[in-house]
Amino acid sequence: MSPIYRFENPDPASALPDGPLHGMRVALQSTVSVAGWPTDADSAALTDFTALEDATVVQRLRQAGAALTGLTRASEFGFGLHGSQAGEAVRNDVADAELVLDMMGECRVAAARAGAFGLLPSVGLVSRLGLIGLIPSMERCGLLARSCDTLSTLLAALAGPDGRDLTLEEAPLPSLAPLPKDGHGVTLGVIPQALEGLPAAQAEGFRAALDRLAAAGVTVRELPLPEYNLFDLVHAIVGAVEASSCAGRYDSVRYGHRPPGAKDWNEMYLSARGAAFGTCVKSFLVQGAFFQFERYAAYENACRIRARLVAAVQQLMPQVDALALPLADRVPEGATATLAETRAPFASTLLASVTGQPALALPAAGAYGALQLVGSRLGDARLLALGGMLAALCREGK
Amino acid sequence: MVFHERVFCGQVSESDVGQSLLLAGWVDAFRDHGGLLFIHLRDRSGILQVVFSPEVAPPEVCTLAATLRTEFCIAVRGTLVQRQAGTENPNIETGTIELMVKELTVLTESDTLPFTISEKAMVASATAVTDTVSEDTRLQYRYLDLRRPSMRDHLTMRHRIFQCVRRFLDERGFLEIETPVLTASTPEGARDYLVPSRVHPKTFYALPQSPQIFKQLLMVGGLERYFQLARCFRDEDLRPNRQPEFTQLDIEASFIDEEFLYEMIEELTVRLFAIGGITLPRPFPRMTYAEAMDTTGSDKPDLRFGLRFVDVTDVFTQTRYAIFRQILQRGGCIKGLNIKGQSEKLSKNVLQNEYAKEIAPSFGAKGMTWMRAENGKLESNIVQFFSEQELDELRRRFKVEDGDVLIMIADSSARVVASALGNLRLHLANRLGLIPPDTFCPLWVTDFPLFEPTDEGGVTSTHHPFTAPHRTDFDPSNVDELLSLRSRAYDLIVNGEELGGGSIRIHNRAVQRKIFAALGLSDEDVQTRFGFFLRAFDFGAPPHGGLALGMDRLVSMILQTPSIREVIAFPKNRSAACPLTGAPSTVKREQLAELSLLDLGGGGSAALPGAEAQEDRIDRISWVSRIGINEQERPVMEAVLAQAETLAGQAAAHAGTEAPIRSVAPVSNRTRPGTEAQRSPLAETGQVFKNAPAVKGAYFKVASVLE
Repeated sequence: MSPIYRFENPDPASALPDGPLHGMRVALQSTVSVAGWPTDADSAALTDFTALEDATVVQRLRQAGAALTGLTRASEFGFGLHGSQAGEAVRNDVADAELVLDMMGECRVAAARAGAFGLLPSVGLVSRLGLIGLIPSMERCGLLARSCDTLSTLLAALAGPDGRDLTLEEAPLPSLAPLPKDGHGVTLGVIPQALEGLPAAQAEGFRAALDRLAAAGVTVRELPLPEYNLFDLVHAIVGAVEASSCAGRYDSVRYGHRPPGAKDWNEMYLSARGAAFGTCVKSFLVQGAFFQFERYAAYENACRIRARLVAAVQQLMPQVDALALPLADRVPEGATATLAETRAPFASTLLASVTGQPALALPAAGAYGALQLVGSRLGDARLLALGGMLAALCREGK
Repeated sequence: MVFHERVFCGQVSESDVGQSLLLAGWVDAFRDHGGLLFIHLRDRSGILQVVFSPEVAPPEVCTLAATLRTEFCIAVRGTLVQRQAGTENPNIETGTIELMVKELTVLTESDTLPFTISEKAMVASATAVTDTVSEDTRLQYRYLDLRRPSMRDHLTMRHRIFQCVRRFLDERGFLEIETPVLTASTPEGARDYLVPSRVHPKTFYALPQSPQIFKQLLMVGGLERYFQLARCFRDEDLRPNRQPEFTQLDIEASFIDEEFLYEMIEELTVRLFAIGGITLPRPFPRMTYAEAMDTTGSDKPDLRFGLRFVDVTDVFTQTRYAIFRQILQRGGCIKGLNIKGQSEKLSKNVLQNEYAKEIAPSFGAKGMTWMRAENGKLESNIVQFFSEQELDELRRRFKVEDGDVLIMIADSSARVVASALGNLRLHLANRLGLIPPDTFCPLWVTDFPLFEPTDEGGVTSTHHPFTAPHRTDFDPSNVDELLSLRSRAYDLIVNGEELGGGSIRIHNRAVQRKIFAALGLSDEDVQTRFGFFLRAFDFGAPPHGGLALGMDRLVSMILQTPSIREVIAFPKNRSAACPLTGAPSTVKREQLAELSLLDLGGGGSAALPGAEAQEDRIDRISWVSRIGINEQERPVMEAVLAQAETLAGQAAAHAGTEAPIRSVAPVSNRTRPGTEAQRSPLAETGQVFKNAPAVKGAYFKVASVLE
């Protein structure tokens, strides 16, 4: 049994069509549906579940000639990284890339953990049909690979309208504006509030990386965002409410397990759903239900705060090429954790999750810590080009 | 404004032409013909068109009239004139006349309406707006809904029916007597609504489920003939056509027998239905409970159509057909009905795949046998298993002709046969359009069983323990004999709906004691539950009996409204709530404290109404989200709920004033044009059921929806 894969494709490389991804080995998190595969999102709610259809991204991978290697182990519903093997297939070179559901930064932190690059695409760019997630307004199909070039090729193959995901943008990707060849002329924005309360090593690594980039000619501007700490609040409330709604589908009617002996339907739901969710996810759902049924104003208020935060970040973007944010590159050991422990590594990744902007994880290089770039929404191509350039500058500085 | 000259819109006629009239009411609708303004003025009596013409009305009146909107409350004075030929409106009764206004007073203005009130078109060709408003919106603004002429008509007719009841019973020597609403819990079947007493802490009144106890006590009290249009309360599970409070005509009389009541109630019912223009034939037919169950499978048979059951159990005593043989060996029975001349509508496919496979099982039958009569033969998928003799006998019993369809239900339980075949009977009648419109078939159902068996092997009263038995010489310890007893109860059924029922009561102490003994109640039980009532029967109680009619249902049936809520001024909705007042609602903690309801549990820590308890909150969330939480998880969930409370507080502190957003991307493309709902290919192939924990036919097995 593979420590990385919960299901391995016995024959990944057979009869691949010609295409931009021909032969690229792509691993999929178990939250991505592949017809006939046990796409169970590592959740008891979906034990023995077999996907009936390919996710749209899987269809596109197949059409582009990618070799699907298998389903990697995830945390329950891909929420957080405890027990997750995201990024390990790429780190161990059993895959060239991996699709990882990103609900609060999982793909980015997993990339940093694996020393790889991770892209959270803009909201509306990549189809979510067939992804098994909990937070529709934030979750996206994250891409993880060893280089920004690979991410660009992957994104080009996956992005674009899907008749079955009506939340997508219909317009094509904006074209790539030319970038300078070195750091001169590039401006990065740093939110000072984002550095408060970070683990010391992470803060130091982040500063070292920025110093290195500044030395290479990149302009670093401080952009205060006094309400930065509210991203966590918005994610905690909106995420929980959406998760509570989303998890309504796990009612053991169309799929899932039905425990025997229930006297009536309500009892069946209570026991089936009680057994379907682990403690961490259940905590999140219980909070969501609490907001939905007992403190609905909290959800409304969080949506108001979200509107304000989105607007505030939008005002910052014209002044810079991208925002630079720190990024955790490790997750405490252990297969299970409390809700608070599960969410802890994602303090710096919630901004892009909440605003819908694209974010790129750059791995640590030498003395420089992992870094996260946040671009303008739908500016994904430019963000990847910028990321490739800045990563090269960091590496050269070794 | 002085109103003493006011006349009613619906009561002016052509004989008033030329007169100066004062009218008051609401603007039902208006049409502006460039300077000439027409208004439908509506009051309770009807509608009259009033006209603002610059040639008649002073300029300031015309200017004011231009500001009028629907449902402004106004008064107008003017001259009644004949309408010009060709401008008459047949939609309203006063369609040949109109009022040329000289004076206008706006009494009160109206906000924009939540729904249209006007039901009468202003011109001959137009039709009224159909009602597409949700019922909860109508109930929330019931005072506006009541302005609609159809609601006004319903309440007017209800009034006429109630007045007719009072006049009729007064003529027959009945006294209208009120009984208390705050009373003690009574032995009816349903749950009581309880009212806490402040003066006597920790004790409760119950709202009456019916005035049963009091009306019998009135008989003991020598009032002889009593009636009341009584409000009754039952805290039952929600059903579409039920109200938690309802009005029943409650009648009780002494020194009478069944025939007295049959005659009187028939005469009353005929008069009440006549108010709605419905003629009921007298005398009403009667049917025993046993006959009703045998021939229709229901204790409230709908007699507007045939489809009576035929018992064919004995036809198959020697049958080779294994299923029937096994059922008969287990003491079962086989009944069927002949659907005359419907074989074209009931194809083999419909009978086998819909009725036998889906519909009959949904009514509790394990299977259904069908046969179609064609070319002098009976055809079916299993006809080869039956002998010629059996088939001939079926043809004879069911009087089969070509084009007929037979369906039969066989089961080891006679109850299952009756219930499934009874439901099929109604289903088929509805589907095949066998129910003639505007037909009313009243019926008395009599001779109910006095007792029903309980799961524990005892008996329980079919109605209530005060119903008189047919004979009194029974042995209260012989369960078989008890179950064979019939009661002197009767139900009035119209078109398969129970309009009311009643019984001759027990007035003899010894008989009453035997009934309680049969029910297995100890003397002590009887004393606590019925002591005060039984004591009254120690003082020379007269023989008596009575009946109660559900007036909401009766009025609804006479007016042929889709629900009883249409004939109640302020009904509760389907969820037993009142969208207008918000009832039922939470109360202040102080109110509970004043009623001593905060420490009913005694220990002080028990879960209490309105009391915030941590355990409660987890149970509540677990319940609303249908997620079971076990004992080990409880402390974790308590902690995350405490954290959620903190988060809610922070969200409130930082909320600001922005409009909330649910999505960061524009949502313009939610519904793309040109996409149509279509059946998924996965459903076509049945693949969609691959992961299903339970499947029923071609469907997921799901919870039935509770109203």
